[in-house]
Formats: sequence, structure tokens, C-alpha cells
Amino acid sequence: MLNLPRWQTIAIAVITLLSALFALPNLLPASVLQHLPQWYATSRINLGLDLRGGAHFLLEADLRSVLTERLTNLSDAVRAELRKQQVPFRDVTVDAGKNLVVTLRDEANRSKALEAIRAVDPALALSGSGDTIRVAYSAQELATRKKEVIDQSIEILRRRVDETGTLEPTITRQGDERILLQVPGIKDTSDLKRKINQTAKLTFHLVNEDVAATGQNIPQTLPPTTFLVPTREGMQELRRTNPKAWEDIQAANPRLSPEQICRRYQPQCLPVLKRVVVGGEDLDDSKATFEQQQGGRPIISFTFNSAGGRAFCAATRANIGKRLAIQLDGEIISAPVVQGAICGGSGIITGSFTTQQTQEQSLLLRSGALPATLTIIQESTVGADLGADAIQAGTVAALVGTALVAIFMFVAYGPVFGGFANLAMLVNLLMVFAGMSILGASLTLPGIAGLVLTAGLAVDANVLIYERVREEKALGRSPFSALATGYEKAMSAIIDANLTTLIAGVLLFGFGSGPIRGFATTLTLGIITSMFSSTIFTRMLLSVWVRWRRPAELVI
Amino acid sequence: MWKPVRLFTFKRKFDFLVHRRAALIISTLINVVAIVGVFTIGLNFGIDFKGGIAIQAKAKDGTAELDQLRTVVGNLGVGEVSLQEFGDPSTVLIRVQRQEGDNQCVAGAQRVMQKAAGQGWQVKPGAAGTGDVDFTSPAALDAASWRDAVSRAGLTLQERQLPRGSTNTARIDMSVEQRAEWCQQVAIKLVEDAIGSNYELRGTESVGPKIGDELMRSGIWAVIATMFAIAIYVWVRFEWQFAVGALIAMLHDVISTIGIFVLFQLDFSLTALAAVLTIAGYSINDTVVIFDRVRENMRRYKKMPLIDLLNHSVNETLSRTLMTSGTVFVAVAALVLFGGPVLQSFSVAMLWGVIVGAYSSVWVACAGLVYLGLRPDQLRPADDKADQGDKAEKAGA
Repeated sequence: MLNLPRWQTIAIAVITLLSALFALPNLLPASVLQHLPQWYATSRINLGLDLRGGAHFLLEADLRSVLTERLTNLSDAVRAELRKQQVPFRDVTVDAGKNLVVTLRDEANRSKALEAIRAVDPALALSGSGDTIRVAYSAQELATRKKEVIDQSIEILRRRVDETGTLEPTITRQGDERILLQVPGIKDTSDLKRKINQTAKLTFHLVNEDVAATGQNIPQTLPPTTFLVPTREGMQELRRTNPKAWEDIQAANPRLSPEQICRRYQPQCLPVLKRVVVGGEDLDDSKATFEQQQGGRPIISFTFNSAGGRAFCAATRANIGKRLAIQLDGEIISAPVVQGAICGGSGIITGSFTTQQTQEQSLLLRSGALPATLTIIQESTVGADLGADAIQAGTVAALVGTALVAIFMFVAYGPVFGGFANLAMLVNLLMVFAGMSILGASLTLPGIAGLVLTAGLAVDANVLIYERVREEKALGRSPFSALATGYEKAMSAIIDANLTTLIAGVLLFGFGSGPIRGFATTLTLGIITSMFSSTIFTRMLLSVWVRWRRPAELVI
Repeated sequence: MWKPVRLFTFKRKFDFLVHRRAALIISTLINVVAIVGVFTIGLNFGIDFKGGIAIQAKAKDGTAELDQLRTVVGNLGVGEVSLQEFGDPSTVLIRVQRQEGDNQCVAGAQRVMQKAAGQGWQVKPGAAGTGDVDFTSPAALDAASWRDAVSRAGLTLQERQLPRGSTNTARIDMSVEQRAEWCQQVAIKLVEDAIGSNYELRGTESVGPKIGDELMRSGIWAVIATMFAIAIYVWVRFEWQFAVGALIAMLHDVISTIGIFVLFQLDFSLTALAAVLTIAGYSINDTVVIFDRVRENMRRYKKMPLIDLLNHSVNETLSRTLMTSGTVFVAVAALVLFGGPVLQSFSVAMLWGVIVGAYSSVWVACAGLVYLGLRPDQLRPADDKADQGDKAEKAGA
């Protein structure tokens, strides 16, 4: 048992060194880290929001009303199609937010009706009998739709929360209908909450070409039909040149109107007619594509619903050659010149765009409204100094805890054996750090508690071994034999004891959420790695030590 | 260099199990009291399970005036409020009950709106039986301004919910459940507005009704699943009597720990649940080590009466039990002393768990084996393999 082949000794040493290497970036001060290669220096454990400070929101999307809305749209389409196919029907109703019920006037028309409904969408699941037809989306279709809604929400949230590009938010899907939003290091959450809650408002306006308003050159009075709106580029320019002004605008309460911004801070603005040509609610979709002819320039295409299409057609026909401003949340994101009447319900925006710009702009157009209402169902905000307090408390507790355990082991088993056990405890902590760095797990305050607890539990294996060695020694075995048998006989108890705790740790991870997961992570990792450090690693140390010192008697 | 210190320098022959009847009575009593306590006094559930809001506030001028705060926050119409000093005298933990989305909350939303957007705003509950809310603005607003205004009360609006054209009233349709979740936000805003000038808000935690119920359910499942998984593991590794003994010991520790939470009215939060589960794992850890020795001794001393054999095994493992309990105890004690207020209830529970875990391994798990009538001939032959391997290796060496 103690006669380890050389390769095993080397393998154990290599594993230990590797763990130390992976754990090291977490322990080195920043002044040393900056001299190391970046990939190595940055592979550190993430601190959880409770230590780092920040905001954590669990948002639930209201998918039920999304479905109801879709079904309402579907019922319009079904009605239209049935009329077109001349199938007389009594009614088409949305039933309990789950499916559509089509009631026919005559049972005989059933097959014709089924065909008409299939023409609307072949993937629909149809059931019912006699004069009623139940129309439902297939389970697969529903799942895809749900996913789409959540994905789109995440995309919009990302844009909205991280307008400034400095917040590093983590936005992830949680289960079927939830989104977890984590923003580290944020102070004012009410601002963040408003950003989540705000749905961007998109409107199309005609530019009043009769008013000249550029830069300082803003007329004192404008026609009552006209107001000033800053352009997106203008605002970005302002932010670069006058960050103070930009911050003031963001912080203003109540919010400044676009015209007030134009007059007070004088970014690039456009005078537009107040009348809304089309609203974002009538915009169905927007994509970044390429022009068919003329060398395939990047363009933005968009589609309106029927009401929007009609309004857009009329407005473009009457205003060829004029500019049409697209306003999103009080900024003009684009003001293309109307080239001709756009009447097909869809149109394109051309200009000297890059592909990236068209992608951005089409996203802006799409990202008007969140596809579903998001409700904050769980929230946790930790101020930076509270996080700092937690780090402080956690560090002190961890240091004192491990130090006390180490003293305990030294006193009980002497400098050699106590020392080996303590070395194993240290290696164990390094391995947990390494494991967390590799897994990209976050360290939370309960996680630190898990570490401290692991320190206390991990020496248990050594206690079991040493106590067994003492017993074997008392039975009159030689040092070498006492050590070997001690290890061997303690193994079954060590494995049982660790596995039962492991079961608790794994289930805790499975059922737990948030900070509890942090606790489960460190506890589980700690138990697994302690199996290595407390048994295999110390065995290597002892086997080397025994061969080197050849003790006549074990001082244990 | 120093010599190792031994806990016992003499041959230990404590007769533990002679006290098994007394232990049985004490353990039963503690558990019955704990269970009765849970149903009469009740656990002090944290917001994780109950739903609600917890706000940590630090007085800007040094000392938190608890009485004054209690009056201020208590009069906000957000339901039951409790305050406690948290960590140091300048910091206070304000807990607000979970919001049910009643009319009082809508009245609160009106105050929030008036503070954020102007005195002229009115917010009224919509039709009874729905979660609808009617907003009235002092002047006609277009859709964009509506959205902006309403978002000040923490409400998301979808395109379809926005009023068309320019109007000064809008009905926002919501389900009752959605309103309850929104009311959590309203309550946070109310507290922030009320105390924000004198207190720095260090951290806010809010758990809506829905998630609270879910966490409670998954918490109960976690405890049950853990105990059964561990019992099944012990059953696979040992005989059924051991599994039953271990399960009873575990139940004993879990219930009595919950009893500690009732007794001291500690905050029973998710972290506390983690403590309970860890105690279940730790308690079994201790039990299994003794069981392992019991099994080994049963094979060695086939004729020894069970009580003597159990006593012998407990004595043999005693210094290990005390050592490990000792190391875990000092580690957890460091958490209690230095871990800060957030970990307080977790650490206190763990401290208890260490003590009760050691106690139950002997007086519940081993005593249980006596009552379950374990006999050496009930040991599975397959389990002897380890010993045979042991002998074979020795022969080979």
C-alpha cells in the first residue's frame, strides 16, 4: 500500500502542481498579475454578486398573453381565408387562451373548411367533430415560439440594459419562460428597472423641409405642427464631446422632451412634423439584407401590417423626394429620402450603410416592443460596500477557520503527521480554487462557508487514517505496516463518509438556487478533491517520508 | 518538536449504550417538542420561502432609529413590517411581508406616481376580480409618454396595453397574480422613497409570491430526496437495520435542528435549508464511520453480545468522532464569530448540527441497531470480500 511506483508519485505531484498553477491567479496580487500572460491572469474565479455587489433580477415573461395575441391574429387570418374560400361559418373564437374554435354553419363544409385552415398554416393541429373545428398550434410550434419570444426578449434586454456598453450584464434563459439578468457593480437599480420596463417607442414622421434647423441655427419659434428631435448620431456626438451634458440628460427627472434636449444642448437635430405617419405597433418585421441590383448594397427591409401598409403607402405617395424620419425613443435613427410610393406593405431603406449598420438599425426597428411583458419575480441588489463587507467577513472567517483546524491537527498528531494533514488541507483548498476557475463557477458568501466547512471535513479522512494507524501501532505493528494497514482499513469508512456528504451536496446543487448553489459547489468540489488530497496525496507524502527517514517508531 | 496530544491515554471502556433508554426518552422528547414547536410557534420563515422584501439600510448619520423607522415604514400601507438591527447599530434590516396586490397596494402606487411624476396623478384599481389598474394623468399624454410615466411605478407595458392617441386615462390590464408581483416593486419603491433621505440602502432583496412558493416546494423536496438517497446508499452498503438506524438518526438531527430554528426564531432561509441538508450529510458521515466499525467487529467477534460489540466499536472510534467533530466545530465557530450577519443563522445551525450529529450516531443510530435486533448472522456474506482481499494481500506481501 505504501510502496508507490515512481510513476504514481510523479503523477500525484504533477496533479498537485497543476492545481496550484490553476489556483494561483486567484491568490496573486494585481501587481504581479499584470506581468503574466493575459489568458493566465484572467482565468480567475468569478465573484458572485453578493460579494461583488450588483443587481440580480429574475424576470418572467407573460407567455400566455403572447399566445392569446397570436391566436387572435390567427383567428383574423382564418376568418379571412374561410371567407375567401366561401365556407360559411358561424363564429371563430379564441378559447381559454389555448386554441381557436371554428363553428361552421353547415357540417357538410367541414373538409373544405379544414383545407382552408390548413392553407393559413399547414402546421396547425386540427381536431373536433361535426360543425366545430378546434385549431391549435402543435406542441413543437409552441415550444419554438416560446423560445423565440425569450430569445428576442434577451436580445432587447441586452441592448437596453447595456446601452453604454460598460455594464457587462449576464442575461441567460432560465427554464421555459424566465430570464435571469445579472448586472455586476451597479448602484442605482431603479434606473435599471426603468430600462427593463421601458418598451422603446418607434414612430415614422415626415421631416419639415421648410424649416432650417441645424446646429446653433435653431429658429426660436417653430410652426405648431413641427417639433425638434435629435438624431442618434447627434446624441452620440454630444456624448463624446460633452459627456456631462449627456449624463444630465440621462439623469433628468422628469425626462426632457426631444425638443428641450435640442434647445438646451444643441446636438444635431431635425425638425419633423408631429403627425405620426405610422407607429411601431404596425411594424411587423425588419431585416438587414442586400439590394438585388446595383452591386448588392446593404439595405434594411421592413414589413408593415395591413393598416400600417395603407398609411405608409398614402404618405410616401404624397411626399416623394422628402425625408421620412424614423424616431426611436426620442432619437431619429434614420431619415431616408422617399424615392417612390411604397405600397406593398413592405419597403426598404437605402443609404450608404455598412452591413453592420444595417444590422444594428434593423435590430433597432425590431426592438421597439418587448414581445412579452416581463415581470420581476425575484430581485436581489447588493451594494458594493455591502459586498466588500461580505468579502472581508468571509476572508476572516475562512482564514481563522482553517488556521484553527490546522492548529487542532498539529496538536493532535504532531508536527509530521499533523503537518502532512495540513498540507493536504492546503492542497485541497488549492484544488477547489483550481476546479472553480476551470468550471467558471462563481464564489458566493455561502460558497465561502462551504470552503470553511470543507476545511473542517476534509481532515476527517486523515483523522480516520491516523486513528487507525494508532490502533494498529498499539497492536504492535511495525511503523511501515501500521501505516499501510491504517490506510487500507480506513478507506471503506472514508469512502462511505464522503459519498454520503457528496449525496447531500449534489442534491443541494440540484434543488438549490442562487447563493445556495455556490455553497453546494464548494462543498461538493471540496469533498471530491479531498478524496485525492487527504488519501492519495498524503499517502505519497508518507511513502516518501517513510523511505527517507525510516522511523523506528511512529510519533503519532 | 512537540509530541502529539492524545485525547485518551487509557484504554477506553465507556458503557455508552447503558444510557440508551434515557437517550431514547430525551431524543423523543426533543423531537416531539420540535415538531410541536413547528406547528404551534412556527418557523420564522425568511423571505426566500414566504415571499416578501428585505432591505438592508445604513443610517447616514450613524445610528439607526428603530422605533422611528418602524413607525415610518409601518405607516406605508405595505402590510406587516419587521425591523431588526443587523450586524452593527447603524444598520437595520427591514422586512416587509409579501405583497398580495390588494387595493392598498394600488393606493401605494398612486403615492409613488405622485412623487415621481407629479401630484395630479391618480391610480385606482380596475374592475373587481381582475388585476386591472386605472391610471389618470393630470394632462393628456401620448403613448410614449404614458409608457415613460407608468414605468416610474415599475410597470412594464406592452404595445397593445398602451392607450391609442392622446388621452389622460389608461386602463392597464393585468392578472391578479401579475399585480401581486408588481406590488412587490411598488412596496420597494415606497420604502425607498420614505427612508432614502436618511438611510443609505445597502441591499434589497425581493421574492415575489410565485417564486416563494416554488422555493418552498423545492426545498421540502430537497430535504426528502437527500434523506432517502442517503438511506438508500447506506442500505446498499450495509444491512437494512443500518439503513433504518441511519435514517432515524438523520431524521432526529434534521428535526431537532429545525427545533433550534423554532426555539431561537432564527431566520429560516435558503441558507438555513442548506445548513439542514449539510447536517443531514454530516450526521450520516459520523454514523457511517461507526457502522463501518460495527460491521468489521461483528465479523471479528462473532460471539460478542450486540450491546458489548456496539460499545466496543463506539469506544474504538471515539477519538476519531471527537477529533472530527472538533475540527468541524472550530471551523464553524469561526463562521459564527467572523462570518458576518448574513451567515449567522446558517453557522449557528451548523454548530448545533455538529454536536447533535455526534450524539445521534451513538445514542440514536447505534441504540437503534439494538432495538432493530441486529444479529451477526444477518451480515451479508458478500460484504466479507474486503476482509478476504485484505488477507490475500497480506499473504502475498
